[in-house]
Amino acid sequence: MNRQAGMLLRVALALRASSRILLTGILMALAGPVNAQVSATAEELLDTMVESLRGGGQRATVEMLVERPGETVRYELEIISDGTERSLTRVLAPEREAGQAFLVDGNTLYIYAPRLGRALRLPPSGRSDGFLGSDLSYDDLAGDEVRDAYDASVLRSDEATVVLSLVPRSGAATPYGELRFTASLPDLAPSELLYIDQRATPVKRLTLSDYVLLDDGRSVPTRFVVEDLTERGGRTVATWTEAEFGVTPPDRCFTLEALERGCSW
Amino acid sequence: MMTITTSHMHDSQNRSVSGMRPGSGFASLLKLSWRSLFRQRRRTALLIAVVAYATLAILFFWGLTDGFLNSIFNGQARLVTAPVVITAPAYHEDPDPIHALPADGFELEAVLAHPGVQFATPRLDVPGLLRSPYTSVGTLLRGVDPAGELSISDLPSAIREGRFLEQTGEMVLGTGLAATLDVRVGERLAVDASSLAGPVAKGLIVVGIIDSGIEVVDDFTTLVHLDDARELSGVTTMTALALDVAQGREAVVAQELNLDLPNNVRAYGILDQMGELATGLAAERIQMIPIGLLFSLFAAIAVTSSLVVSVMERTREFGVMLSLGLDHRRLGLMVTLEAILGSLLGFVLGLAMGFGLLYWLQEVNILGPLFSTLYGDFLQGLAIGTDIRAEMRFEYISYAIVTVVLAAVFAIITPARRVARLIPAEAMRAAE
Repeated sequence: MNRQAGMLLRVALALRASSRILLTGILMALAGPVNAQVSATAEELLDTMVESLRGGGQRATVEMLVERPGETVRYELEIISDGTERSLTRVLAPEREAGQAFLVDGNTLYIYAPRLGRALRLPPSGRSDGFLGSDLSYDDLAGDEVRDAYDASVLRSDEATVVLSLVPRSGAATPYGELRFTASLPDLAPSELLYIDQRATPVKRLTLSDYVLLDDGRSVPTRFVVEDLTERGGRTVATWTEAEFGVTPPDRCFTLEALERGCSW
Repeated sequence: MMTITTSHMHDSQNRSVSGMRPGSGFASLLKLSWRSLFRQRRRTALLIAVVAYATLAILFFWGLTDGFLNSIFNGQARLVTAPVVITAPAYHEDPDPIHALPADGFELEAVLAHPGVQFATPRLDVPGLLRSPYTSVGTLLRGVDPAGELSISDLPSAIREGRFLEQTGEMVLGTGLAATLDVRVGERLAVDASSLAGPVAKGLIVVGIIDSGIEVVDDFTTLVHLDDARELSGVTTMTALALDVAQGREAVVAQELNLDLPNNVRAYGILDQMGELATGLAAERIQMIPIGLLFSLFAAIAVTSSLVVSVMERTREFGVMLSLGLDHRRLGLMVTLEAILGSLLGFVLGLAMGFGLLYWLQEVNILGPLFSTLYGDFLQGLAIGTDIRAEMRFEYISYAIVTVVLAAVFAIITPARRVARLIPAEAMRAAE
């Protein structure tokens, strides 16, 4: 059964640019006599899942709820992303945080503090730390670390889902022992990313849902739920309330000037 | 009974005085004073005990003070920094890797040729962030040459779990830091740093946990291989060359090295490295001087008081001596000599006991556990552990001899002057 599912996955990869309907039809047609090596495609599967996670070029408004014991803080964010390594995030609400902005350009992260009236470059840890006190980090949104620091293998799969086991490469800059990345079939829509420590204990879970189907066949999640599974607890829910996918923001949106003054196009 | 004693005293005194011709020398007075000491054994014993106690107290006080300060300096030199470091002045002022030593900054052979330098090893300190699955902590990573560090630092011997660094890709943490990060030997930490070329991240395996019992060490120490530090910082040289120099010679060796080093490279002894902390500790030592002087002052007053009572009790005896031809000046001198001789006896006894005590406190670690129990909270900010040994210096003799000098001065001022004013006829009639 796994081998059949593996073939399904390969086909899904090959046809990810086609429409969802076409893909589903072909997959159903090929579901029988398949024999493929799933492990050989694990890296490609991962690549596809990360691309869906990132959502490509987009302009969106995101509601983020940071839930802590006895307190929930609501943020409203405007996000502009080129779908690769650049994004501009501006805080719209609450009022006391409004105007604060973050610019990610590869590994470099800048923050604009309106009270200071200037942009500051944050240390590299800024990408992996939760921003605005939440459990959600830029690495969670970008998925670069997932793709670059781990060796992927298919842990299990069936007709509905595939679970990748991601084990850190030697010298990888990650503190986790393993990640388990789950996607639903046939469109490889990422549904869960489980972070497991080096003692085989899950410590963080990213649950993805409310997909938007893009023209290229990708199912992009628009609801991120990050749960801290340690004793500390905590949960962050990010929901894309307005989103425009498949856009190509101009380069000027990813400059320090845009960080300070915003970018509209 | 009283008559018998008096006549005995007179006989004895007569023998002494009759044995001394008028105008005879200082030696005779000294002999007379020495004998007088042993005629009043209880009072002399009290005088000796007071001076001995004061001397012992002064020796103990300074041995303890210097031993404590030395433990701080030595702990700082062996656990936090090095006895002497060669670094760029800019780095000394602003410890940022961008101020690392220039590649052609100095000749290492010339530094090693200095007779005071026993060993040298490179270090590269890099600010970074350690990430575990549970939390992240900002720290200063010290890149070291594992073999070199074994020769200069006490940290490798403070590893309680695992082992010291052997190769790249490894790190050693203080036990407090490891507890904060909840990381164990064999587990990997992510390290983020800002190199000269931009953000850099690495995964390093924890191979050893340091447990020195010193909070400032256990909570902040992060050692990585020099090559990893270079990768994380983008610096190809080092931020400092750590030198092993004998304790107490740090400032001199640094000063001598600076004569041959270029202006953009300087050597700093341990006190210079400690900056304001060392200045503050030096000031503390100076502030201790009045306390030491107080010991001497109280002891000298006790000696003087004892002498005054002695002079009052011996008024008739002094009257007899005056009537037999001993002039007032010599009688005053005799009383002063009694004070000096008694004080010297106490001083010698105090020295023997004091240095004996210091030797014991130097050999056996009694003070460390005592201090950590009494002043644990106060000591937490210092690189000082539970091993505190007393210091033993011969200069303490000069501090303690102040007691004898003061006793002599006070003896001249009060008892000797009282004796000098005695009228023989009245003195001989004085009641005992």
